[in-house]
Amino acid sequence: MKKLIIIISLIASIFTISTFDTSAQTKKDRDQVQVTVEGLGCPFCAYGLEKKFQELKGIKNVQIEMETGIMTFDFPADKAIAIETIETQVDKAGYTAIATEITRYDGTIINANQEEKPHIELTEEAIIENTFAVSGNCDMCKSRIEKTASNIEGIRLAEWDKESKMLKIEYDTTLVTLQNIQERIATVGHDTESAFAPDSVYQKLPMCCQYERKEK
Amino acid sequence: MKKIMLSFGILLGLLVACQKTPKTFKYQQNVALDKVSPIGFDYDGKSFWIADGDHNRLVKTDLNGKTLEVQDGFKRPMHLAIDQQKVYVPEYGSDTIQIVENQQKKALELSDSLDAPAGIDVIDKEIAIADFYNHRILYFNGSQWLSFGKEGKKQGELYYPTDVQITSNKIYVADAYNNRVQVFDKQGKSLQTIGFKEGINAATGIFIEDDIYVTDFENNRILIFDQEGNLLQELKEGLNKPTDLLILNDQLFVCNYKGQSLSIFKR
Repeated sequence: MKKLIIIISLIASIFTISTFDTSAQTKKDRDQVQVTVEGLGCPFCAYGLEKKFQELKGIKNVQIEMETGIMTFDFPADKAIAIETIETQVDKAGYTAIATEITRYDGTIINANQEEKPHIELTEEAIIENTFAVSGNCDMCKSRIEKTASNIEGIRLAEWDKESKMLKIEYDTTLVTLQNIQERIATVGHDTESAFAPDSVYQKLPMCCQYERKEK
Repeated sequence: MKKIMLSFGILLGLLVACQKTPKTFKYQQNVALDKVSPIGFDYDGKSFWIADGDHNRLVKTDLNGKTLEVQDGFKRPMHLAIDQQKVYVPEYGSDTIQIVENQQKKALELSDSLDAPAGIDVIDKEIAIADFYNHRILYFNGSQWLSFGKEGKKQGELYYPTDVQITSNKIYVADAYNNRVQVFDKQGKSLQTIGFKEGINAATGIFIEDDIYVTDFENNRILIFDQEGNLLQELKEGLNKPTDLLILNDQLFVCNYKGQSLSIFKR
């Protein structure tokens, strides 16, 4: 009888250890990702972003918290997902990622703050203000337009108003011209007063961003 | 005899005048919902059932927005419909229609696959589903399923439909990102487009009574059209990203996604 109890206990402990190991292994095998996305105004697009990420092979537990704009998911560690891959996917869905953080299976944290750009001294006397029309519809458009403009060397301020469709900028005239600024904004799909977005880029904008285009 | 004819004439005149009086709505009040971001809602005869898309749940409330019951476990529920005490819930996140009855949930069997169903309507044996990413309507006429609409901007084509309503002889579609309402017959032939001249920015929800009611999501408006497509009224007060609407006891209820509230207008 004693022998039987010992054997059962041994089997039970081996089973417990093996179960514990498996769950630990599962947890260890996955990277945790957190992306802060700007412009989550339209639920149909936001839920679509979640859905598109769910299609990535190996991804699990995709969730978007609408109030904070934070999307989280986990991914197989052996695939070592890169910040660039995540941001490309977010961009493809028409969104703007403003911060991305990957916590690797071993605890290493990799992050990227999208708003950082190289510091360039501006010439105060050369800074002027201008306002011009930029086509767009929604909060997603606002994020995309302002991010694109802000990333241009020489721009100090960029604010787009959804109602009036006007972009207010402050820029250093020794570093960039108004025409350059308008052309850069057009490259991400938004027509401006003097630059038209390529049709192929416009057509890839999410549905809520596809504003009514004026004649070229 | 003259007097009788005169009286009859006056009576007839009054009757015609009454019929032509526009039934305008006036803003009454907003009632708060308890942390609910509504996408769609319907009335079961006593309470509202609200699809809370952001929080993956259904919330049952009274007419003052007070929460009575919560059912979790839905994957991005959208414009739901109630028929014979069954709640039909399109799940954008799982590509299924869930039927809730007596707190039990089962999936509607379909031979065709959906891609992000965003709206449904059910009347007796008829079912219409707005199949968002497939840019089409799936319609069951009581004996067979029909599919109509394809991606595009022309009449007969759809661009991300989000809501649908069946009437006795027509099917109305919130053709959301074509910024219009599109009307089909029950064979799937497009009869009419409504509202495209009004600068709508995402026509996300519709309700049909005698007239046609549509939510203009980004512009925070409700537009009311007659059956010929003439704009009768525009409502703006109290609205904050409206997604769905319905009329009950001469009151127009609108659910506000961002406002997390119901706006009530009185006829």
